[in-house]
Amino acid sequence: MALNILVVDDSETVRAIILKTLKMSGIALNAPLEASNGSEALALLKEQWVDLVLTDINMPEMGGVELIERMKDDEILKAIPVVVVSTEGSATRIEELKAKGVKAYIRKPFTPEQIREVVDEVLGVNNDGES
Amino acid sequence: MTENHKDLLCRVFAEVLEQMAFMFADAVEADEPPSPPASPLLAHMTFRGAMAGKLSLAVTAEMCPEIAANLLGTEPEDAADPKIARDALKELLNVTCGHVLTALAGDKPVFDLTVPLVEELSEDAWTAMATAADTAALLVDDRPVLLSIEFAE
Repeated sequence: MALNILVVDDSETVRAIILKTLKMSGIALNAPLEASNGSEALALLKEQWVDLVLTDINMPEMGGVELIERMKDDEILKAIPVVVVSTEGSATRIEELKAKGVKAYIRKPFTPEQIREVVDEVLGVNNDGES
Repeated sequence: MTENHKDLLCRVFAEVLEQMAFMFADAVEADEPPSPPASPLLAHMTFRGAMAGKLSLAVTAEMCPEIAANLLGTEPEDAADPKIARDALKELLNVTCGHVLTALAGDKPVFDLTVPLVEELSEDAWTAMATAADTAALLVDDRPVLLSIEFAE
């Protein structure tokens, strides 16, 4: 089954890089879903169900941490798994994020194999698709 | 900055560039600061946490579409849009900064990073950066790259 994965990053180019890597990983995706900050992501999430959110942390207007907190406070959105994709390597920060409900953390740069492994693990499925 | 810091910058940048963009960087000897290229660009961002400071990356503008193309898996002519090319440079600096901070401070401290900015660099500013004691110089396919880290007092 093809997945709805929402990619949240303030850079259009970075979103394109993440989507390219997702496609290269072989994960079957529906039409790309993108947001440039937490506010846009919340608005989209209220309109359309997604299977997984991949989000950056540092973004203008509403960053990744507030997005995660707002989703956790929402009876419906809290069921959607969130994976953080970031450049930071602090184990302390990763533990803080996991305490907020983040399912996994992917550190940049990452390979298609790494993102595939995380998505499969978080969703508990094996989503084969066309590469 | 100690020589070890410059070695660290060169090593981390080369690793990140190879993993992200499949491009290879070689350190330049300290007594051979690279001359200003045509249309140099400067990307910079600050960090704050266990230590505070600024990381700066200077490259020739013509390198940016190639970096962007490699990041996006497209041809350089498809990544020639200046916004895309500059975004790729910002992302390269952003990822380098994260890995430099881990190499310097370990994986316990939490840092707040600012969003990277890109601006044009004058020839004089390039020369000043290239000859500064705290700047690491590299070549990427014979094109000069400068990288420096400044720590706040």
